Amino acid sequence: MPYDSYLHIFLPDELNQENTEQTLTEGKQGVERNHEIQGDPSRLQSVSEKNSNGICTDNFNLSNSGSNPLPTENSTLPSPENSSSSFFPLTSMTPLMPVTPVSESSGIVPQLQNIVSTVNLACKLDLKKIALHAKNAEYNPKRFAAVIMRIREPRTTALIFSSGKMVCTGAKSEELSRLAARKFARVVQKLGFPARFLDFKIQNMVGSCDVRFPIRLESLVLTHQQFSSYEPELFPGLIYRMVKPRIVLLIFVSGKVVLTGAKERSEIYEAFENIYPILKSFKKA
Amino acid sequence: MSGGGRSRCPDCGCAELVEDSHYAQSQLVCADCGCVVSEGLLTTTFADEGHLQEVTYSRSTGESEQVSRSQQRGLRRVRDLCRVLQLPSTFEDTAVSYYQRAFQHPGLHAARLQKKEVLVGCCVLVTCRQHNWPLTMGTICALLYANLELFSGTYLQIVKVLGLDVPALSLADLVKTYCSSFKLFQASPSVSVKFVEDKEKMVSRTLQLVELASETWLVTGRHPVPVITAAAYLAWRSLQPGGRLTCSLSRFCKLAGVDLPHPAYLRVQELLDILLRMAGQLAWLRILNLDKQTVVKHIGDLLQHRCILLRQAFRDEAEEEEGDEQQQEEGEEAGSSTLEMPEKKRPASSPPPLLPPCMLRPPKRPCPTPADSRVTGEEDISDSEIEQYLRTPREIKDFQRAQAASQAGTSAPITS
Repeated sequence: MPYDSYLHIFLPDELNQENTEQTLTEGKQGVERNHEIQGDPSRLQSVSEKNSNGICTDNFNLSNSGSNPLPTENSTLPSPENSSSSFFPLTSMTPLMPVTPVSESSGIVPQLQNIVSTVNLACKLDLKKIALHAKNAEYNPKRFAAVIMRIREPRTTALIFSSGKMVCTGAKSEELSRLAARKFARVVQKLGFPARFLDFKIQNMVGSCDVRFPIRLESLVLTHQQFSSYEPELFPGLIYRMVKPRIVLLIFVSGKVVLTGAKERSEIYEAFENIYPILKSFKKA
Repeated sequence: MSGGGRSRCPDCGCAELVEDSHYAQSQLVCADCGCVVSEGLLTTTFADEGHLQEVTYSRSTGESEQVSRSQQRGLRRVRDLCRVLQLPSTFEDTAVSYYQRAFQHPGLHAARLQKKEVLVGCCVLVTCRQHNWPLTMGTICALLYANLELFSGTYLQIVKVLGLDVPALSLADLVKTYCSSFKLFQASPSVSVKFVEDKEKMVSRTLQLVELASETWLVTGRHPVPVITAAAYLAWRSLQPGGRLTCSLSRFCKLAGVDLPHPAYLRVQELLDILLRMAGQLAWLRILNLDKQTVVKHIGDLLQHRCILLRQAFRDEAEEEEGDEQQQEEGEEAGSSTLEMPEKKRPASSPPPLLPPCMLRPPKRPCPTPADSRVTGEEDISDSEIEQYLRTPREIKDFQRAQAASQAGTSAPITS
């Protein structure tokens, strides 16, 4: 049975959501622990690929490794007395470490500042009702055709459309974005709509960092003309469009760099590692 | 390509038949004698001519054969703009060709008239840049009464779409053009004799000051025009400090007949800071205890020795890192000052680093530490947390009542 339960990581989110709905209707006590216990399939697969031992040992190894102890109040580790299903919560393992968080060359890790994600709640929504029943919602149909909802923890904003699609912005990490989206979906659920949680996808990630030395933007635009656009009359920074990975970087004279357009965290790190040697060559002005 | 059916000209018997079109009418013509063998149907459809269906103009070939009225107007505007700016005639043709190319792109073809108007300016700007003709976006926007935001969007779009290689604005040329537009070179009712200045001297000193600004990080990332205004102001004052020290920047711009860009105030201060530091390296100036007004008198001397003074006045951080273990006392005039000491141990009198002003200001707020990475995204969401965002039935009623009241309030003037 334990090995069979891993099959669900290859199944779409939907099926696990149905499981959640079922457990919700069963009652509240002790059931809250088993919500949405599937992980993000693609990430889990990549973890397993990296670890030559395979999926099964991955889970146990990671959950037993001591680096990041699990928070006990939100523990999703199964304990015989309170789990009504025998699913193993794969998400109890620690979050994935980035592919190359700290490269020997730069020693600087870009910080994620904003994640934009979308999810499909898969039901038609009455935006007026949502705006009326929810404290944290604003709806001005003359200005914009969606409800703008905000939650405090994690500090994020969501745009909820009447078609059931939702955009979630403001989170500082992929996991926080997912958590926030789930909270928004839960609010919509509590308002009486049969909201689901389909096709959660990260659409854009923005990161920033500081190389701590000034950069001669005029020289950079000369040597990397085909990628750079520097128009001081319009914008103080240099816009560098990297081809691989496909990331746009805003490089400022103070040495601060903003990276945007990524769908994965690794793209941001890779883009920074690509640009750092280029910037370093301009260090000695 | 010869047509089907007959393969020989009935007149001369030649086998070479050419398909030609007389305006919109296709004809089969003999290459030798020119006899028209057969004529096609008068149609401009792409579809099979046998069907003889009507098509809209946009789907017909008429569009690609003729230049549309909108495009014609745009091309005329391009030529007009080039003439107003007194550009050489070769620029006109280049700008026109850019406009034609841009017009073919669907995104720009179907754009609003406002955007097409701005496109005219963009084509002229690209042409000027490529010939190192210093033309600023501000000038074009003023001439076209265009919004700079729209201009910038269209400009970046057209550079990307046409894949153009646009060189940067050449600062030296801009200085010359900008300074030449000043009305300070001849006495006039508004410009008294003591304010009149020799053009060559003024331009050359302004150029030197702009170069100084560019070396000391005052130009990178900033709009070029305020720097030039500030440099021109200081240059003009320093050439005859006697009567001009008391003249303010706004008065100078009025005399010169140019607009005063707001950032110029800051640039003047920044330039004066740099000059004061340089002055601190010259013994005979140090004893004078110069301030921002009096240093202007010595700008000439400072500019003459600016290379050495810059090196002495500012510590070059990059050189420091490569510097060896020798710890030298920071130099007076003669010695160079590369301090090889960690941050905290630097003596207070060490030369400041040569950095852009944005790096010298203290950070506005401390950078927040990154969030704890223990979140998995799958944590439990407690009901109480969600319920804090929902209104109670009582609150809903109150809210509805308040909404109705406010709507009644706003609609009252209309109904009554």
